[in-house]
Amino acid sequence: MAIADLEPKVGGVTPSAPEAVVVVRGLTKVFKDFWGRPKARAVDAVDFEVRRGEVFGLLGPNGSGKSTTVKLLLGLLHPTRGHIEVFGHSPRHVKTKARIGYLPEESYLYRYLDSAETLDFFGNLFELTSKERRNRSEQLLEMVGLSQVRRRTVGEFSKGMQRRIGLAQALINDPDMIILDEPTSGLDPIGCREVKDLILALAQRGKTVILSSHLLADVEDVCDRVVVYYGGRIQAMGTLKELLATPDAVRITSPLLPRETLERVLEIIRRDVGANRVEIDTPTQNLESYFLKVVEQAKQRETTSGATSGARVAAYLRGEADQPSSVERRLERLSLPQTPAPTPEVKSPAAPSVDETRLAALAHGEEKSPPPVKVQTPPPADLDRANEKLSSLLGDKP
Amino acid sequence: MRPILAVAGLTFRAAFRFRLVPVLSVLLVASVFLLPAFIKHTGKAQEFVQIVLTYTLGLTTAVLGLTTLWLACGTLAGDIEDCQMQVVAVKPIARWQIWLGKWLGIMMLNGLMLAVCAGAIYAQLQWRARGLSQEQLEVLNNEVLVARGSFKESLPDLEPVVEEEYQKRLESPAFAEMPRSEARRIIREQLKAGLQVVPPAYTRVWRIDLGSVKSALAGRPLYLRIKFFVSEKSASGTYWGLWEVGPPESPRRVQDVKNHAAETFYEFSVPPDLFDAEGLLTVEYTNQNDTAVLFPLDEGFEVLYRAGGFGLNYVRGVAILFCWLALLAALGLAAASFLSFPVAAFLALGLLIVAFSTGTMSLVIEQGTIREVNPNTGEVAKANLFDHVTVGFFKGLLGVINLVRGFSPIDSMSTGRSVSWTQLVRAISQIVLLMGGLFAAIGIAIFTRRELATAQGKG
Repeated sequence: MAIADLEPKVGGVTPSAPEAVVVVRGLTKVFKDFWGRPKARAVDAVDFEVRRGEVFGLLGPNGSGKSTTVKLLLGLLHPTRGHIEVFGHSPRHVKTKARIGYLPEESYLYRYLDSAETLDFFGNLFELTSKERRNRSEQLLEMVGLSQVRRRTVGEFSKGMQRRIGLAQALINDPDMIILDEPTSGLDPIGCREVKDLILALAQRGKTVILSSHLLADVEDVCDRVVVYYGGRIQAMGTLKELLATPDAVRITSPLLPRETLERVLEIIRRDVGANRVEIDTPTQNLESYFLKVVEQAKQRETTSGATSGARVAAYLRGEADQPSSVERRLERLSLPQTPAPTPEVKSPAAPSVDETRLAALAHGEEKSPPPVKVQTPPPADLDRANEKLSSLLGDKP
Repeated sequence: MRPILAVAGLTFRAAFRFRLVPVLSVLLVASVFLLPAFIKHTGKAQEFVQIVLTYTLGLTTAVLGLTTLWLACGTLAGDIEDCQMQVVAVKPIARWQIWLGKWLGIMMLNGLMLAVCAGAIYAQLQWRARGLSQEQLEVLNNEVLVARGSFKESLPDLEPVVEEEYQKRLESPAFAEMPRSEARRIIREQLKAGLQVVPPAYTRVWRIDLGSVKSALAGRPLYLRIKFFVSEKSASGTYWGLWEVGPPESPRRVQDVKNHAAETFYEFSVPPDLFDAEGLLTVEYTNQNDTAVLFPLDEGFEVLYRAGGFGLNYVRGVAILFCWLALLAALGLAAASFLSFPVAAFLALGLLIVAFSTGTMSLVIEQGTIREVNPNTGEVAKANLFDHVTVGFFKGLLGVINLVRGFSPIDSMSTGRSVSWTQLVRAISQIVLLMGGLFAAIGIAIFTRRELATAQGKG
């Protein structure tokens, strides 16, 4: 990360920003009772713009107005006041809807249709040809890991599988803008990772993604810009850099260093900022990465009757039939890590101190790196929960 | 068009996946096959037809009609309440297309079920008819399994005579004090009675103009269908009458003395070619009883003739039933466009019951008041504003209902009457396009404006 990148930008949108695909001005939604009396002000005087190719996050606690905003953008609710434009039209403009994909917060699909029928039905609504529907359905089912259960009805699916087929239907038209309402809700960690990879891949292709979530990690991983809702109002808005950067601190990550080198570096830093304002620690991989590795290894030995891990992003969504782009190759590496190389983790500065004993251990490589992955061996105590999830995922097989 | 067909196909498929079709099939099999198997007839062609055609087709229509209402309310209101509509409505399909797709899907199911049932009833009719005697089989083929046209005496315009008579009677103080409308009503009823009643030893003449079809009727027998009432019952319960048919003074004129019971429909044939050169058929009835006989103007006398075969007539009749189902589907969908499933079903059924209960409305219109009528004098108090509003509303409502109820294909087919192409076109225009279109316009307008995301789903 370049130092210059840490400098906050004013406004969050650069002067050469691409066209706005969603424009919201003074949006207010008041729910009323049977007699027309105001019942709840779900969205209150909200303004924002979403630009082409942007991953835009709507963040907020439950009931803060995120989903209401999404439904207003889709024309499922009508604003009490204010103005919405989607691709330059009203949200209720029928032809504009051909450019939008939508994953609702729950599985609102027809429970009596199977996966293939579901995609075929929605493909028909977009007037796709029979061949296109068949091709896209196959690719999407492969992508979301449901190709082996394509003839099971949606009503028989687990919640996670329903999210996957929901995601597939949202992509059947290769939308220019996709609106995802709590997309990782009910998904296992693999599914979550795949969804986030997909979002990044779509953004790479210039698609606009609006993501509504209260899961901060999801938003942090993929969003370019976010708005934070509370009580129907926007409390904060900007790029993640603007909102999250700590401009008065800096973090340096390097391979293991000899003690002498470390001391020299610390000495230099201490001269500038003082001894009690420097922190030093070992980067750790996060639980998600660890979990993905465990499952990847287990997949080599076990079979499952549920959803399988999804394949790479459907070809038509990548915009190319054969060769994955460099970005996708990178994404695939990230989603299915083959090597245990730890990625740098950004953490907030903790209590400023340097533990000399720890420094010595670090310098001599005595502090153990993350334990190697062995499913059969008893896990460390802090991974119990991950193992529970894993056990569930693998159908309680040993 | 493809999105509409997609929604139609989905609606059709849903009926199968929700096990509606198997359940409906059991009900329809019971209607079509079990009813004739358990209800016995005496071997007469009319009774046979009553059971094998009228009851079965009537019951089938009732079952399909109620199913249509239920399905129409359920498919739209259910999709909205379960939030599936949120995923459909954000696709490039207009709300009217969704609505129309639903309607089309219901009609696809209705078309399938009605065609299967109608085919089964037709086959059963032909198969069971083999058990009738030769004589009854002949009656069946000549009077029922045909498409017969009908002529009735056209009712003269009574209003000028009513006005003339009213002006004459104004000299009487009793009449002068009576409300004008009531006085005119009494005069009108008296004039009608004069046209209907045949006192003892009197003769009633009907002159029926067959001009439009006379060439087609050459060499073919005609059928007279009659029904009368009597002022005093006879001991035997039957009443004699001399029937003469043919041009007066003509050697071809035939006469026959017949004995019939009152308040029952009778049909008898008359030889071919008894109308005159202009196609005018003259029929005279002389009352040979001690009591007056009354032939109602609407159904007392009718001339029937063979206009075609039964098969095509049956198809046209069933097509009118299909029109009714189309209207019920539109009614159910219109209700579900703004109401939840149970409330929509309640409203639709309520409207259906009102449509079948027009007797009270007719009586109120006839009496000119909604208030009580003096049973002794038949007089009512002077109509007030409430009466005027009610009567006006009932007139309008009845007019609308009669646009739909003015067709009776099952009765027509059971009595071997023709269900003409004109009737079918009129049924399509009035029932499907006008009334169904009205419900569709209301339903689509509401559905288009409705917020679909206020429901939070059940799951």
